[in-house]
Amino acid sequence: MTLKEKVLSNLKRVMDPELNINVVDLGLIYDIEFPEEDFVYVTMTLTTPGCPLHDSITSGVKYCLEEMEEISKVEVNLVWEPAWSPEKMTPDGLKQIGR
Amino acid sequence: MGPSASGNETNIKLPFSFIFVSMVALLASQILLLFQGDFLMDGQFRVPGIWSAAHLFILGWALMIGMGAMYQLVPVAFLTPIWNEKFGFIQFGVTAIGTFAFAHFLFHDPQNALIPGIITLIGILMFLFQMFMTLRKQAKPNILTLYVGTALVCLLLTIGLGITMLYSMKSGAAANQYFAIFKSHLLLGTAGWFTMLIFGFSYKMVPMFSLSHGYSMKPAKFVYPFYAGGLFVAIVSFFTESSVALIAGLLLQLIGFAIFIYHISLILKKRVKKKLDRSFTFALIAILSGGLIHFAAFITALTGVFSKAVGPLLMMYLFFWIAFSIIGYLYKIVPFLWWTAKYSKEIGKKDVPSLKDMVNDRASTPVFACLVIGIIGVDLSLFIGSKALFISGQLLFTIACFLFCFAIAKVVTK
Repeated sequence: MTLKEKVLSNLKRVMDPELNINVVDLGLIYDIEFPEEDFVYVTMTLTTPGCPLHDSITSGVKYCLEEMEEISKVEVNLVWEPAWSPEKMTPDGLKQIGR
Repeated sequence: MGPSASGNETNIKLPFSFIFVSMVALLASQILLLFQGDFLMDGQFRVPGIWSAAHLFILGWALMIGMGAMYQLVPVAFLTPIWNEKFGFIQFGVTAIGTFAFAHFLFHDPQNALIPGIITLIGILMFLFQMFMTLRKQAKPNILTLYVGTALVCLLLTIGLGITMLYSMKSGAAANQYFAIFKSHLLLGTAGWFTMLIFGFSYKMVPMFSLSHGYSMKPAKFVYPFYAGGLFVAIVSFFTESSVALIAGLLLQLIGFAIFIYHISLILKKRVKKKLDRSFTFALIAILSGGLIHFAAFITALTGVFSKAVGPLLMMYLFFWIAFSIIGYLYKIVPFLWWTAKYSKEIGKKDVPSLKDMVNDRASTPVFACLVIGIIGVDLSLFIGSKALFISGQLLFTIACFLFCFAIAKVVTK
């Protein structure tokens, strides 16, 4: 398993509490980069600007990755462009939402 | 649990203070109403007990809930933090003391209700100032700002007219205009403040709770001029006593409300979430009820029986539209608030409950059923003049209010 796959797998522990779907299957994670060996830079979005769970979810992503042995620095870049749409969800995510 | 340190989130204690004190007002108002059957049967709505219960219900419950919800929703909907949280807590204290004292004096000593009325007014003015200072910081005002801003202006006018009425009662000034002021006070307090506020926040909450995407916001631009124009024309009709203006005003409001319902249906068509929560569905049913009551108001004005129907219609409007919208949305908002306070720092570290685990959505159905059956009984009793039906309906409604408050209070044990 590559480090990127490990990061994605770990991120599946971060759930959107309203939908009860993890941030990966919900399609909120846009990009994962490693500027340095133990530094992960996550570009992500939320389902809607002004989401009341804004801080909770981005902090959750940070906490969850900081726990990984291979990672010592995490930065989360929250973006609104491109805007999230249901098309970004994985088949698993769509299934969980009943579609 | 302390204030949130980052982002736009409000210190959870502020909205919760409003919400929990408002529950006390809700229960007190409904218990008080239970003993007003004789007056209601005689069509005497302007008596101390009903005044007191009405103000406890509207100011103590609905307005305090509205304030608490705004302290929570304005930062997230407008991406703007509350201007001054400490000022918010002081405002809460002043409003709560003023409102309960006002209700007390209206019941026991209406002639001296002016001072507590002014304290309530100060609390509300502090709230309006807080919101004005918050909204002016919003980087990009949008159509929601217009709805919420108009609601706040209507609230200011409602309170101003209410105080004018108290002054008029005490001094005899503007006695000729008393009923026009009274009607305007009721219209602006219900259709102005609450409806505009629910319209505005529904545009935020309906897409959020249904996960709707890719919908147009264009119809919202049509809802506003029709509805706000309708309010203005109806107020003109009160002062000119023109039945044509009243019909026109009610028609404009009906058109505005109908476009709003159509717009919400378009938003829901674009939803990703197939199965909607029961409490949220209840809030959606409240929207339909509001439209039907507007339609009934227009028809009664057209057929010349508006003055006879306005009491029960107003009551239906307060409960089926305003109260049921608030109750439906509260089932979603309170778990959000508590979850954020208790679990937002735990997410990603360990398994945390979902929002569905915070409140029993399924158990809300019998509560909603009792609220609806209870209030239908009360409204029907007013039409047919049955005190027994009134007491049964009001008792059922009061019990349902207790169950609702219990369900909301139980969230904080999760």
